[in-house]
Amino acid sequence: MGALQIENFIQTSIFLFFTGALTALALSKKHRLCNLVSNWVCIAAGLLLMIASVMKIISGDGLIHFGLFQSTLSFLALEVKIDGLSALFLIMLSILTVCVSVYSIGYISHYYGKRNVGLFNFLYITFILSMIFVFTSSNAVFFYIAWEAMSLLSYFLVIFESERIENQRAGTLYIVMTHIATAFLLIGFMISYSYTKSFDLFGNSDAIPDGAKTMIFILFLLGFGTKAGAIPVHIWLPYAHPAAPSNVSALMSGIMIKTAIYGLIRFVLDFLGIQQAWWGGLLIGLGIISAVLGVAYALMEHDLKRLLAYHSVENIGIILIGLGVSFTALAQGSQLIGSLALTASILHTLNHTLFKGGLFLGAGSIHYATETKDIDRLGGLIKTMPITAVFVLCFSLAISAIVPFNGFISEWLTYQSIFAYIAPGQPGINILFILAVAALGLAGALAASCFVKLFGIAFLGNPRSENASRSKEVPATMNMGIGILAVLCFAIGVFPLFIIRLIDRVVSGLIGSSIFDRLQGGFVFTWYSMDLSSNKISSLEILAAIAVLTLLTLLALRIFGGKYIERKYGTWDCGIETINSRMQYTATGFSKPIKIVFRILFRPSRKTETQGGTHYHPHRIAYTVASESIFEKYLYQPVYIRIRGFSRRTKFLVQTGNISNYLIYIFAAILALMAYNRLV
Amino acid sequence: MSYIVYIIIQILTMVLIAPLVNGIIIKVKAFSQKRTGPPILQMYFDLYKLIRKSTVVSDVSSWVYKAAPYEVFSTALAAALLVPVSTMITPPDSIPGDFIILVSIFALGRFFMMAAGLDTGSTFGGMGSSREAMISSLAEPSILVCLFTAGLISGSTSLDRMMVFMQGAGTPLIHPVAILLLLALLSIIMMETARIPVDDPSTHLELTMIHEAMLLEYSGRHLALMEYGAAIKQLVFMTLLLNLLIPHDQFIAMAGVGAVLLSLLIYLLKVILLAVLIALIEINTVKFRLFSIPNLAALSFILSFLAFLQYFLLGGSYV
Repeated sequence: MGALQIENFIQTSIFLFFTGALTALALSKKHRLCNLVSNWVCIAAGLLLMIASVMKIISGDGLIHFGLFQSTLSFLALEVKIDGLSALFLIMLSILTVCVSVYSIGYISHYYGKRNVGLFNFLYITFILSMIFVFTSSNAVFFYIAWEAMSLLSYFLVIFESERIENQRAGTLYIVMTHIATAFLLIGFMISYSYTKSFDLFGNSDAIPDGAKTMIFILFLLGFGTKAGAIPVHIWLPYAHPAAPSNVSALMSGIMIKTAIYGLIRFVLDFLGIQQAWWGGLLIGLGIISAVLGVAYALMEHDLKRLLAYHSVENIGIILIGLGVSFTALAQGSQLIGSLALTASILHTLNHTLFKGGLFLGAGSIHYATETKDIDRLGGLIKTMPITAVFVLCFSLAISAIVPFNGFISEWLTYQSIFAYIAPGQPGINILFILAVAALGLAGALAASCFVKLFGIAFLGNPRSENASRSKEVPATMNMGIGILAVLCFAIGVFPLFIIRLIDRVVSGLIGSSIFDRLQGGFVFTWYSMDLSSNKISSLEILAAIAVLTLLTLLALRIFGGKYIERKYGTWDCGIETINSRMQYTATGFSKPIKIVFRILFRPSRKTETQGGTHYHPHRIAYTVASESIFEKYLYQPVYIRIRGFSRRTKFLVQTGNISNYLIYIFAAILALMAYNRLV
Repeated sequence: MSYIVYIIIQILTMVLIAPLVNGIIIKVKAFSQKRTGPPILQMYFDLYKLIRKSTVVSDVSSWVYKAAPYEVFSTALAAALLVPVSTMITPPDSIPGDFIILVSIFALGRFFMMAAGLDTGSTFGGMGSSREAMISSLAEPSILVCLFTAGLISGSTSLDRMMVFMQGAGTPLIHPVAILLLLALLSIIMMETARIPVDDPSTHLELTMIHEAMLLEYSGRHLALMEYGAAIKQLVFMTLLLNLLIPHDQFIAMAGVGAVLLSLLIYLLKVILLAVLIALIEINTVKFRLFSIPNLAALSFILSFLAFLQYFLLGGSYV
């Protein structure tokens, strides 16, 4: 496929998205038809985009380049430029778009007749469109417009179910945090413009002095870090993601926060160039904190979607660790390890898109079937929703970095890049890197615990509420959407070289050294050797070994143990004969030991109230446990209180409501500007 | 030595020796209490009896409950493939995994075991899973740092290469790194295999049990597989410690089948000695409170971290 055809494909896809959005508005009276049309348009456009992006990477290095809007002001040209990196993120976006749209055909049916489906689908499609432009914009002004559109559209989607007060609060927090982030980005772009006199993102940054580069890096890190949800600027994420409808949560968590990772690679690694090793160190430090604290907070949650949102913080941490290793290695001139770590980090970005998208869709299915998001009110869903259960199990294993799923592959590559870079004689880096290893290990094990909790409490055991016992399997289209993602997770886990080859083309285009030759074996990930280590893994062989060993075990049991005789009987109840669902462990109880071990993070408190009867035999006991978020309480709360106090005190001094005062302000502002113009 | 022969020797050794380790530990403990104790081979008899019995399955449970024993057993065996009992039988560069995948394989088995604990709707199962989740999470960083240190010293994450490299040091435990790693791994074994300071494998008291609580509903061949899987996992961890830090193949100056047999014999002796050592630790410690276990995990992490620092900051070659 030539460059022209790829360009046509992408233009057609963008055009389809536009048409879909408008059609959705036009058909907003006919809910069912509108939903079907807009989702099918999304699927078609997503597939086109995916094919074009894959072809772009395979076909080579040239830029796909076309203008959407020309103006006489050179910096205002809305130009699309697609290189390998953009194409890679477009692949992630389009895979997720296709799956989420298939899912939405069924999922949105519960809005029919209740909400404005046309408006929802309009916002949904334009949100996808804005992300396409974030990944493909060629200059900072266009990027900024697309970025802002993405933030605003996702804000409207977060507050779509706006009758609930917590959704409004989540939306406000989100819009404030995202604009603070955008402000940092804007300052960064301005500083860059003042030196290079150009907003071109594909230009070179030689004109910027080193000190300014460091400053721009810090600004970008703050801006993109907030969007990505890295701790400590993550606080919007656990509120905003659960508030949105589940298919939008899947897009937000699956791909929207990845725009920040794209930004870090595009602007810092590609545009600015890595100047100092401590940039990488800073990213690793942020990554360690985000990974460990993200999963720790996730464990404490029993709201299904908020738990998943905290896991996004954890996975962003893992991605940042990979990115940090890459930055450190590149700053010190190790191209090979730099590209290995960058590959690991991009692969984890893709993997997280797949399994976290799938998990949010799974949470949406549970909510669809049971109308609750509280894990402690679920249970026994594996009997009523067997297909959803299998898919959620797959994603749970994938996110916990367990073989043979995709999460393991990217974590393995991250471990390998760390392994390759530790050497005697660089104490600071060594200690940071081994701490990153420990953090990755701890985060992985805690994630496994958390997903045993999610899967075990929600799907296994006895139903804990009416809603759970009444639940039915969700419509087939919803399962199909999740199913594609689950198959992809498994396929990448077993045959990772397909996707690593694509990523490697892009990474070698960016950094200039390819690691693919060192991952020998072609189809199956079998041989891999780096300068420092010679290690090999093969998930396929491990999977085959487990399968063969299971068969041999069954055979041996048949030979030595005779026929399998099974008797069904009730769970052992210590003789009380009325075991009920309230005697099961709850999600809160499950994570209590970990909560006590890490009590310094959660500051748990409990309150027991008894009513009536004697002290030892009361009629009623109310028991409440609470844990607090130290970041909200000790970092954001004081700042918020001071700002509020300051604005209360100064409000009536400045904002008098008197029109002549405002005229004076305008006059003073003009005078100041004229004076500035005269003096500088 | 060809790959097939390696797999057969590896699986047979692990499957045959694993129950013996438990027998020795129980015997030594009984001896310390002036009891005769069950025969050393008792676990073999138990397992044989169990697989011939019919199985009771809770009517609350789902397919996860029935899949878990097979998953636990086969992942333990798959993990056994990655940790050679003797480097003389390892085919060069064909073992499909390293220690990172080893940790992940164990995580797969553990995931199913913890889920199965929650599957029967019993309080005990949930309690066991919850405690296991805590202990395994706390042990994980220590395992990884420990193996990373050993791997970095030997320049590979592949366990057979690490073992071969460690043999180059000649006398075992001559280097301080090895001693620190030994102590760290020993405390990891205590945590991962439900041994006394952490868990008591011989009681079914609801206040103390962790591993047994998860298996409480199991019976018949399912129980046999769970117990057998745990025994094999214990042996895999012991092999890791023994062959990595106290290698023996460098002392065998022969070649051929005789050398392999001698190597396996020495391996068996080492396993028996380590089993006795574990029994002695069990005899001389009391079970910790559940919330003192993090201290053991922290100790183990500090030991492995010190080993890392010792090697990389103070410098020094291993061989």
